[in-house]
Amino acid sequence: MQNVKDTMVGTAAVFIAYYLGLLIVDAASLPIPGPLLGLFLLLVALFCFPTLEHHVARAVTFPLKHMSLLFIPAVLGVTMYWGDIKTYALAIVIAIVVTTSLSLGFTAWLSQKLLNSKKSGVLANGKNFGDVDD
Amino acid sequence: MIEALHNTLSFHGVLWLSISIVSYMIALWANRKCSGHPAAHPIIITALFVSLGLYFSNTQVFEYQRAASLLHWLLGPITVALALPIYRQWQKLRHYGWRLVVSIIWGGVLAPFSAWLALFIFDTPSAIQFTMLAKSITTPLAMESSSQIGGIPALAAVFVIVTGIVGAVVASTIFSLFNVKNRQAQGIALGTVAHAIGTSKAIQMGDDVAAMATLGLCVNGIFTALALPVVFSLFI
Repeated sequence: MQNVKDTMVGTAAVFIAYYLGLLIVDAASLPIPGPLLGLFLLLVALFCFPTLEHHVARAVTFPLKHMSLLFIPAVLGVTMYWGDIKTYALAIVIAIVVTTSLSLGFTAWLSQKLLNSKKSGVLANGKNFGDVDD
Repeated sequence: MIEALHNTLSFHGVLWLSISIVSYMIALWANRKCSGHPAAHPIIITALFVSLGLYFSNTQVFEYQRAASLLHWLLGPITVALALPIYRQWQKLRHYGWRLVVSIIWGGVLAPFSAWLALFIFDTPSAIQFTMLAKSITTPLAMESSSQIGGIPALAAVFVIVTGIVGAVVASTIFSLFNVKNRQAQGIALGTVAHAIGTSKAIQMGDDVAAMATLGLCVNGIFTALALPVVFSLFI
């Protein structure tokens, strides 16, 4: 019973943040997406009331794990742009495959340089921080 | 929300929602069978099954989108729910300090900028160029911010997913090419450049890699989703 109540509180927190975000963005004509402001509102709520983490976790862990399902309608909608994709296929493939590979390499390269420059000290304990698994 | 629920509570709504969920469950099973190979990502298999269903029942995509609009609508609340993983990464971010932030920002700027440059050189339409800018962040955030800057959300979803798959597939080769042996650096790059799909690859590589990938995913997601619309509203 307690679990059901926690899940409901967590769900309510997410939806309140969502609708508040939409409302504020709309009222103040902010240039950011409403759900993104909702995310920040929920983040602020979590910092102010750390006990809320437990409730939110109960509500969102399962949907977050399976959020891929929510993209299906959008992904299928891409067929409407099939003509454009075909016309610019080469450019798109280069933009995705080549630049993603290079970005991956250069990002890892720089962060290795930075992290190694601080070899001794806290980073040597990095392995201890692998326990948050979301 | 009312409209999404209304669409769902019809014969078509229930039918296509069920087909989507069953396809997704099959996709999860198939993905496990392929030991979680990134190219067998559940979303690809699910999309394949649903398109087959559309093809054989002679249903148009927009009819499916209306029937399954509840799924699409839930993208908003799920974006808000991302606050939880971000909240949980916060302490770690403070712990690692500026070196981590600089790495993530470097990757978060480099990946979209180089992709945009490639499209710019090939003179593709600006809507596609703008959409590409969101390719390295997690799908719900990418769809939100691309629609805000004159991109195409549906295309953003596809670019994001393909980027993630490419990143996860090439990761090991690229890391040995660039001589990156530091596992934490590998994790940061995977999460920052290849978002959630890169992070699932990182999970297979080990807990320490996964933790850093999650950090990269969260920080870059917020950073890019916030920066894109703001920069566009200021300068364009």
